[in-house]
Amino acid sequence: MTTLSLSHFLLTSAIIFVIGLIGFVTRRNMIVMFLCTELMFQAAAIAMIAFGHYHGDVSGQVFVIFILTVAAAEAALALGLVVLLFRRRATLSAEAWSELGEA
Amino acid sequence: MPANVLYISCVLGAIAIYLLLRPRPAALKPVAVILGLGALGWVFRSSSLAAAVDRPNLFFYIFSLIAIASAVRMITHRKPVYAALYFVMVVLSSAALFLLLEAEFMAFAMIIVYAGAILITYLFVLMLAHQAPQPGEDESQPDYDVIPREPAAAVAVGFIMLALLTDTIFQGVPQMRPPPSPQQLQAESWQIVNLLPDRIERSARREIDGFESFANSDPSVRMVGDTAYIDVIMTGSPQVVTVEAPLSALPENVERVGLALVAEFPVSLELAGVILLMAMYGAVIFARRQSEISETAS
Amino acid sequence: MIDGAGFPVAVEASGPSWAALILWLPAISTVLCGLCAAFKVRNKLAAWITVALLGGSFVLTASLFAGYEQPVTIHVLDWIGITWGDTSFVANFAFYIDSLTLLWMLFVTGLGTLIALYASEYMEQDVGGGYSRFFAGISIFLFAMTALVMGDNLLMLYLGWEGVGFASYWLIGYYYKKPSAVAAAKKAFIVNRIGDLGLALGIYLIWQTFGTVQYAELFTELQAGSYTEIAGGWTVQAIPFLLMLAAFGKSAQLPLYVWLPDAMEGPTPVSALIHAATMVTAGVYLLCRMFPLMALNELALPVVAWVGGLTALLAATIAMAQYDIKRIFAYSTISQLGYMFLGVGLLTTSGAAYHVFTHAFFKAVLFLTAGVVMHGMAGQLDLRKVSGLRKLPGWRITSYTMLYACMCLAGVPIVTNGFWSKDAIMAEAFAAHGPGFGALAIIALITALLTAYYTFRVWFRVCAGPVHYEPGDELHGESTGRFQPHAPRLIINAVLVAITVGAVVSIFCADWVLGMVGDSTAAGGIPGEHHVAEGASVWSDPHAWMPWVASVIGLVGIAIAWYFHLANRKAADKFKQVLQGNVLTAWLPKALENKWYVDELYHATIRAPLWLLGRILNLFDRYVLDMVFVDGIARLPRMLGRGFQPLANGVLQSYAVSMIGGVALVAVLVFVMPELMAMLSGLMGGGR
Repeated sequence: MTTLSLSHFLLTSAIIFVIGLIGFVTRRNMIVMFLCTELMFQAAAIAMIAFGHYHGDVSGQVFVIFILTVAAAEAALALGLVVLLFRRRATLSAEAWSELGEA
Repeated sequence: MPANVLYISCVLGAIAIYLLLRPRPAALKPVAVILGLGALGWVFRSSSLAAAVDRPNLFFYIFSLIAIASAVRMITHRKPVYAALYFVMVVLSSAALFLLLEAEFMAFAMIIVYAGAILITYLFVLMLAHQAPQPGEDESQPDYDVIPREPAAAVAVGFIMLALLTDTIFQGVPQMRPPPSPQQLQAESWQIVNLLPDRIERSARREIDGFESFANSDPSVRMVGDTAYIDVIMTGSPQVVTVEAPLSALPENVERVGLALVAEFPVSLELAGVILLMAMYGAVIFARRQSEISETAS
Repeated sequence: MIDGAGFPVAVEASGPSWAALILWLPAISTVLCGLCAAFKVRNKLAAWITVALLGGSFVLTASLFAGYEQPVTIHVLDWIGITWGDTSFVANFAFYIDSLTLLWMLFVTGLGTLIALYASEYMEQDVGGGYSRFFAGISIFLFAMTALVMGDNLLMLYLGWEGVGFASYWLIGYYYKKPSAVAAAKKAFIVNRIGDLGLALGIYLIWQTFGTVQYAELFTELQAGSYTEIAGGWTVQAIPFLLMLAAFGKSAQLPLYVWLPDAMEGPTPVSALIHAATMVTAGVYLLCRMFPLMALNELALPVVAWVGGLTALLAATIAMAQYDIKRIFAYSTISQLGYMFLGVGLLTTSGAAYHVFTHAFFKAVLFLTAGVVMHGMAGQLDLRKVSGLRKLPGWRITSYTMLYACMCLAGVPIVTNGFWSKDAIMAEAFAAHGPGFGALAIIALITALLTAYYTFRVWFRVCAGPVHYEPGDELHGESTGRFQPHAPRLIINAVLVAITVGAVVSIFCADWVLGMVGDSTAAGGIPGEHHVAEGASVWSDPHAWMPWVASVIGLVGIAIAWYFHLANRKAADKFKQVLQGNVLTAWLPKALENKWYVDELYHATIRAPLWLLGRILNLFDRYVLDMVFVDGIARLPRMLGRGFQPLANGVLQSYAVSMIGGVALVAVLVFVMPELMAMLSGLMGGGR
């Protein structure tokens, strides 16, 4: 793999990461917010595998396996929390939970 | 790639996404799409000025486009279920990109785990957390799905980050150490094969006619220059013959990943297991119904 | 012209060290009376303490006088002694005893003791209330006066000066619940302050010119050189004028006399002691003590003479139209002090000092008898409302001592001390040569006529004529119908008699005073010395014909007073109507009654603008300094906080935006700034 195509893969990864970032900050539905974080994970995975391929090392893919594991665990727990929160306020809006802010 | 191209296309992309985020009159949507595609295309086109051998694969462009478009659609769609489905699209495209990067295991693992498990969970929860509309209310989505939160600030900040990231990428990557040559890669692969004696024997038996056994019961590959040789004993004569190693003995990606997991990262593997255990605990605790502690023992 | 040599100066001889007790006894009395006040003693203990200790002071003074031979310095305490380089400033608690000091101290301590004795009965209504506080004030006054008179350096004089001002403030404001008394105390203090400024500046300039503030060294230096050799330009010339300003403030001359009439709000013993006999003479003492310095500027002494003369005339005219007895006597004091300053200005310091001496006695008697009237008539002091006192039983001593004191003040010939002392001054006015001294002399004569008139106006109205009395404002639980005047008792009568006897004795003290003054630093002119002309006939020597002229004038004044205020009292009112009817003179009675509107003038020119300035500065302080600066700075943190408050709204995503924004900012700074800086410095013509 040449440096040029590595740059392209990284560019794709960066674009998807930033899109996920914008989505996380913009959407108000809690579940969609988590979805956007998963999108960011995805972008990181692409970047890591691209680097691994560039160096001929398989560690990149191993790392992505672990990311996957963590993402799965985190998604499970996060969704559980979201359900509990939804039961409290009957809304999925993240702004319903802004009690720590200044009045 | 000159920096100005990057910055200008960042600005264009920012405008495009901003326009897509807000519920706007329908006429603006095509404008935004064209802007975004134009920005992307400009960036990618600048790379096509290089020599053919340095350009990325055509499939790369296709799948990148699909991934980016799905991501954008995911964050701009009103209905969360559709957003989840577009995310599945993103996962599929990135799996295709993995395939381009010769990471077959990861591609399918991603599809199985992410699209197959995690996103199904998300869809379940979305269905569960759906507020039933009151009789008399219209069926449109609740407010928090339709109207985004401070899109201007988000887009601005996001695209500043993007500009910086891309700047770093296009300046920093050429300064990295050069990738190993294919011969080096193959030599490393042959080293790995030495850890898998069964494999060599199986492929030797399949491909070399008259193969009986390894010399000195030593199924290892010897490197001479760029070629790999094995010492075998053919049927019929007790003489040791040196033949080229069969290429089918080279490990697949799956085998390499598996070997790396067990040989180089065993602790991490165990820890991953522990994390999953913790997640299971957490889930069980969440799912448990809170039992009331009554004043009088019942 | 004065010459520098000719007066004895204290050499390093030192006197008896028990003389220090003269200063400490009043101080001890202050402390003890203060303790009485703190412990709310309910009897007259404070009075007896004061009288005893002040009497002891007088006895010590007398024995000091008895053993006096030459000027001495007595060291009491080390106070200030700073040396740097070859300059030094030394001011110790020490006494400079010469004859001038002793003269002053004798009548200060003597009258102090007697008046304290008088006050022990006069103030008896306040026993258990402010009685001890009063005597503490008297004691501290005497301590300060002693320091002033006996100190051997200008700093100790200044200490005493301020101390008597403070004691005056304390005692005028004794009835602190009366707003008029409090206002009068403030007025006295503030007007005195103007004079004190002059004294402070004068002391500083003296130190700068002569290098010392101690009398011994100062006078030695003055005696050594002649006046033309003293360098220093206008600052040296200013010294006499500054000292003069101080004297005018303390001794109530133009333009700083306005506090003395108001000071009558204080209790009568205070008026008698402080504002008649002792404190107001401090100004005269200052000028006498610093007499050699007054010659530093040729115009200084004539200015003193003119101010004294004009004040005497002005105060006498005002006194003619007042109805409050104490006010009349206050203006009379101002007028007589004018005479003393006139004397000093005419180079007859001995005449001035003799007038101080005699004035102390008869003015004290006048005030004390006025106090008796006030005390007995429940606060009534209007001479239109009291009459014929000498016919009341128990009031005889009061009336006749008052008569004798009035005679002294008016200058009845031969039998009164006032006659001899005023004669010395008025004769000198005619004899001395100086700018406009002729006119000044005529002014002095006219004032003498007016003095005789207003003095006997008081006596004829109050003590003679048909018996009539109305009680004043301070009735203590008796109704008007059954009011009986309280006659004075033994102690008051005894004190009045004692002081009157002293007045009589002082007739014979003229030569003694002359000698005392002539032996001291105040010697600058002995009456009868430097004027005698050629071919003397009786009429060309003022000292020869003055006694006749003065007697005639005094008797004329008494006669006028007898006509208008005893024989035909209604004639006074008719005369006033005549004056008011005539357009040319209609303003006269009103102006006189209103003290020539001097207070109002001061109010308009000084107080009102200052008050206005104060209001403006108050507004400036409130709206500019407070609101803009102080509050403005106080609002800054709050505004900053409010500005950043929306960032902390509790919404997760906005925190995320902030975080990312922060990371973006840092990254921009790290990645972009170096290039930006290089570009900017390249734009600005290369780095430096």
